[in-house]
Amino acid sequence: MDLNPPAGENYANPKTCLFHVIFKAAALAFYILSALFVNNFVIIFVVTVLLAALDFWVVKNVSGRILVGLRWWNEINDLGESIWKFESLDQESLARMNKKDSWLFWWTLYLTAAAWILLAIFSLIRLQADYLLVVGVCLTLGIANIVGFTKCRKDAKQKIQQFASQTIASRVTSTIQSAFSVV
Amino acid sequence: MSHADTIPLHQSSQSDIDEIENLINASVQSGPATVLPARPPSPPRASIPVVSSSPSPFIQSHLPPPSAPPPPPPPSSSTSSQKVPSVSIGVTGFGPAANTLTEPVWDTVKRDLARIVSNLKLVVFPNPYREDPGKALRDWDLWGPFFFIVFLGLALSWSASVKKSEVFAVAFALLAAGAVILTLNVLLLGGHIIFFQSLSLLGYCLFPLDVGAIICMLKDNVILKVIVVCVTLAWSSWAAYPFMSSAVNPRRKALALYPVFLMYVSVGFLIIAID
Repeated sequence: MDLNPPAGENYANPKTCLFHVIFKAAALAFYILSALFVNNFVIIFVVTVLLAALDFWVVKNVSGRILVGLRWWNEINDLGESIWKFESLDQESLARMNKKDSWLFWWTLYLTAAAWILLAIFSLIRLQADYLLVVGVCLTLGIANIVGFTKCRKDAKQKIQQFASQTIASRVTSTIQSAFSVV
Repeated sequence: MSHADTIPLHQSSQSDIDEIENLINASVQSGPATVLPARPPSPPRASIPVVSSSPSPFIQSHLPPPSAPPPPPPPSSSTSSQKVPSVSIGVTGFGPAANTLTEPVWDTVKRDLARIVSNLKLVVFPNPYREDPGKALRDWDLWGPFFFIVFLGLALSWSASVKKSEVFAVAFALLAAGAVILTLNVLLLGGHIIFFQSLSLLGYCLFPLDVGAIICMLKDNVILKVIVVCVTLAWSSWAAYPFMSSAVNPRRKALALYPVFLMYVSVGFLIIAID
């Protein structure tokens, strides 16, 4: 994955990209600026965590679907076991996904997590346990999305490979059968 | 996250999402149980009515994208029409995967809100499925607990006349860490629960205490506070009891339940003692 956006095309879903970025940026900005200007921890906590939770929801349910065609969730089946379910578009649609969209999607996820880790280190150094709590919650949400989507992407690749090998296998058998029927 | 057991899906999730919605409807109406057609990846589920032979989800999925109302701002209308071809290609590809992937955002919001409400009703109010932990919060979600914990912290912080920030931080940390530790407690006692399901349940059981906190915030009479807190505490414990007790060995029931009760009692004291 390179550091520069792929050239030659525009974003296919500008509004979704905007929403994907805006909540993350708002949470980070509010946290950083309010630590300077606002003296009320409760407000900082509630607004930052709310923005982070909204961002988590938007990424998981909206921008993941639209920008990269992936979705993940957890279900509990009848036996009481928890199953992680992954869902992805089929291969043609995945190939047709806008490269710039998916570049933005993944890079903003990673960069936001790195930013929160940095802020966590700062609050550790300053020994502020309550701010560390805020940063911890936001970091957890960011990492959850990263892990979920990475697993979903691997699962999608696996499915594509399986499908491809199935198709090849079925074509080989049908070719052999037709060869024998001719003979 | 734990329990990362991926099942490769060839036909996935339209039927799963339908199952979830049907479960929500079924839990509201206590509907009849019908047997699902068995699908290769997952075990047959005996109690959820499902709409899941392959052709039908596609017929359904052709309907929502074209006839959906103009989607709300985030997905532009060009994307919803762009996705329609993928639905038909998906028939031969990976099964009914495209259906929830292409739904309008408003549908997702409504589905999540409906799930919060149904989870709240399942946990806190009497209903026939309470005895089985597997059924108690099958579609767990953490939004409800998040709102309830934040709300309780805000209510306590509002009622406090000094040190509001510390009160909020303490309340939030106590409830969040408490839920995690209680879940670990059950797991270490050899119980069978799922981490997030239990977190979700303990969060939803805070709803009565939220109600109590609001009442105590509005009326400052000590005796009234004590009575209200006792009532809501009993309600919360009653809500949490079946799930926790059925998750562990009967001989260890008290060991699992006592910390839960203790946590709710301490929250109750916080509510009474705040002035």
